[in-house]
Amino acid sequence: MNPIKTFVPIINGLKITLGHMFKKPITLQYPDERPKVATRFRGLHALNVSHNKAKCVACYLCPTVCPAKCITVEAGEDANHDKFASVYEIDMLRCIFCGYCVEACPVDAIKMTGEFELANYRREDFVYSKERLLEKK
Amino acid sequence: MLNLTIDDKQVTAPKNSTIYDAAKLNGIKIPILCHDKKLKPFGACRMCLVEVEQMKGRQIPACTTPVTEGMIIRTATPDIIKARKMVLELLLLNHPIDCPICDKAGDCDLQNLTYEYKVDANRFTDEKFQHEIDYNNPLIERDMNRCVLCGKCARICDEIVGFGALTFISRGIETKIGCEFDEALNCEFCGSCVSVCPVGSLLARPFKFKARFWSLTKQKSVCGYCGTGCNLTLGVKDNKVLTTLYDENQGFHNGQLCCRGRFGYQFINSDKRLTKPLVRKNGVLVESTWDEALDAVAARLKGAGSSVAALATPRLTNEELLLFKKLMVASGSNNFDHSAGYAHAALTAGFARSFGSTAAPSTILDIQKSSLLLVIKTDAYETHPVVGFEINMAVKNREARLSILSDKRGKLSKLPDAKTLVHVPGTEIAVLNSLARIILDDKLTVDSAAALPGYAELVSSLAPFTPEAVESQSGISAADLRQLATTYATTEKALIIFPIGQAYPGHNAALATAVANLAILTGKLGTEGAGVLCLSEKNNSQGAVDMGFYPVDGGSDASLILDGCSAGSIKTLFVAGENPLISYPDHARVKSALDKVECLIVSDLFLTETAAMADVVLPACSFAEKEGTFTATDRRIQHIKPAIRKVGQSRSDFDIFSALITRLGGEAPATPSALFAEIAASVPGYAGMSYITLGEEGSFAPVEVKPVLTAATAATMPACAAGTFALLTGSALYHNGTLSQYGEGPMHVCPEGYLEISRGDAATMKIGENDLLTVTSDTGNMKLKARITPRMPQGVVFTPYHFSGNPVNRIWSGAAVTGVTLAK
Repeated sequence: MNPIKTFVPIINGLKITLGHMFKKPITLQYPDERPKVATRFRGLHALNVSHNKAKCVACYLCPTVCPAKCITVEAGEDANHDKFASVYEIDMLRCIFCGYCVEACPVDAIKMTGEFELANYRREDFVYSKERLLEKK
Repeated sequence: MLNLTIDDKQVTAPKNSTIYDAAKLNGIKIPILCHDKKLKPFGACRMCLVEVEQMKGRQIPACTTPVTEGMIIRTATPDIIKARKMVLELLLLNHPIDCPICDKAGDCDLQNLTYEYKVDANRFTDEKFQHEIDYNNPLIERDMNRCVLCGKCARICDEIVGFGALTFISRGIETKIGCEFDEALNCEFCGSCVSVCPVGSLLARPFKFKARFWSLTKQKSVCGYCGTGCNLTLGVKDNKVLTTLYDENQGFHNGQLCCRGRFGYQFINSDKRLTKPLVRKNGVLVESTWDEALDAVAARLKGAGSSVAALATPRLTNEELLLFKKLMVASGSNNFDHSAGYAHAALTAGFARSFGSTAAPSTILDIQKSSLLLVIKTDAYETHPVVGFEINMAVKNREARLSILSDKRGKLSKLPDAKTLVHVPGTEIAVLNSLARIILDDKLTVDSAAALPGYAELVSSLAPFTPEAVESQSGISAADLRQLATTYATTEKALIIFPIGQAYPGHNAALATAVANLAILTGKLGTEGAGVLCLSEKNNSQGAVDMGFYPVDGGSDASLILDGCSAGSIKTLFVAGENPLISYPDHARVKSALDKVECLIVSDLFLTETAAMADVVLPACSFAEKEGTFTATDRRIQHIKPAIRKVGQSRSDFDIFSALITRLGGEAPATPSALFAEIAASVPGYAGMSYITLGEEGSFAPVEVKPVLTAATAATMPACAAGTFALLTGSALYHNGTLSQYGEGPMHVCPEGYLEISRGDAATMKIGENDLLTVTSDTGNMKLKARITPRMPQGVVFTPYHFSGNPVNRIWSGAAVTGVTLAK
């Protein structure tokens, strides 16, 4: 047994440990402490609102581009004969948070927020309806 | 064929083709917005510019320039691409570019070309159009802001449909497509304009915002309404038929459809569809299981012998009709019939006798080869609109002459140089007999005619039908009759077009014989462009006849079956798809028969008036859910495949009949294709066919003609009493049978029955448009809205028969002409 080969790595390791004792901790005391997410973070979707209604015109590009096929859109015709999404649902159990929907949207109607706490107790609660997805102000 | 060079490739092209056609023929794609293969070249969009070396490198439109020998053409030089980009920039200048909300996106020629030519910026700026959008029309939405003024809609409406609803209005920068005086669209609603629009200016409103083009599954099929046998492409998403799609390469009609074909598909996924079997318990129809329902039916059928009878709709496939017949044979009965019995008599009795075959010899393709079309009744347009388009095209593009023998005028009468001879209702046979007599008297017959069986009898039977005698009877002048007979006999390629159907009881075996006599005497027996084309009413009427689904060997026909039900000799009646209570003549008689029959079994898509009286109701499938073959009116056999899964627990009639045959201890064929093999082996003309050989195009079953001359006896028509009107029944342009009531499109345009009356009569009786009239005949009375038209002769009124809300059979007991009185 070579004492140098045995003890030097241990000492090196302890050195790192000792070093960290004098640094600011990385670990967060979640949920008491909240992480600060980057602006480009891809979390829960939100439907942008303009003039008190969703900007979405139900063009079906997001369900078309979605690789996980988690978006369900149904178009409707409003009183002014304009197209709007009468149904807009995202199944968060299927979503892979790739952000293609945001990229495909021609009218800037969908964005991804910093919201990442998506745990739920029931499966059906993971299907986000249009009301739940509307941008909160 | 001419030799030319396109893009350094040596190619050949027919002499009369354009550069565009020549390039397309040789697989070279030239971009274009204003071209459709059915339409005449127009040269509106300037996208198809090409360079021709002989023309000093000038840019010329490919779609309007004919090819010449030795032409050297370049289709994609940098200069041309630059010019095309500029054309696109100018088109996009006023276009709203609202692709996200435009239903055309994905199928839009302008969008595709913009993408292909990478036009992502515009050097010019201008205001967008601010035309008012027509949202009010239930079928066609017009947004002229998106229009590129290619003129295809206006041209198809004029050249093919012959209606002329749309045209260019205003001038210069304000030019747009619109109706007369920029008013609302009020046309035939065939949707041809929608089908050819290269952008989203004309859209099918029933499909608005329903789905994106790219998400639709396209399933080719055959239309389930009339006997024309038009090919359809169904747009399917999530197991629902959402629309019909246009394919200019489909069928003899090049994708052209009528209102019911294009807009009448909603019955397939209607909420009113039956999804579970119903069995009557304690007087009420309650939901049940298939086993219980089929056991109940099998118990009634087993060993029932001639106490059981069947009525089928000719909308079933050939395989289903044959299987239904086998089911009846298995239960020991030969009482089966379709289409009220008389609607197919022209084929099964008339042509069977005269031509030796239960079909007429000509095909729809003959219309475009003929130089004289003799149409019996203007209704040929209403019963078979796409055949009507073919007639329009023959007359307008090929200058075929058109003569019409009819009891009223109609759309066909308006075609250029169309000659309509309007006769007194019910005198068709006398008129045709007098034509035959003139042909005989003037020795215009073919030489072989005198040797044909029945010649002598025919000559003697025609004695009373001198043109002068018939003039006084029919109201057509002797001179007109002589002229028509001479023209018909001396024109080598003359085609008689003869519609039949449930609403046309006068188009019976005798009239078919009279029609056939004319053709036989003049030797027009199914050579190219000459002969007789019989237009049978439903999509498989000809198939039902070919499958022998009509009484032979002493079986009862539909009329006797109903009598048997009333008399108690028929105890079980199995009705597949028919709605006799509405579509058969004499409502009271049908009602009492259905009331009295011990057990009524109905298989249908909907809980029709007849199904509501049934003891067992079996939910059946539409044509979009099953496999089989349909035989079009000209014996074109076409194969259909399922486009969607069966709705609810419904089963195809094939499955229903198979299950019942098995329950009766027989052996049912496993699949429709196995049964079709049996059909191919046994039905004359079908030999050698299989689903594989039919392919997408289908194939014709040849008709072998063995001409026999037979006297056509005109049934003496009781003259309508003084002060009464002659009521004619028939088809409305937007409907076919009673099924189209479940299609939203037809019901938007024509939701209820009406009574057409001449202007003169309306003025005398002070009747206004839409006045509610009480129409009374010997058998009953009903209320119908008046529709005043210039096409009706005085003293003649017309009503279509399709509507459950106004069943015409309350006043119509199956006579060709019924005397009625009108009161406000």
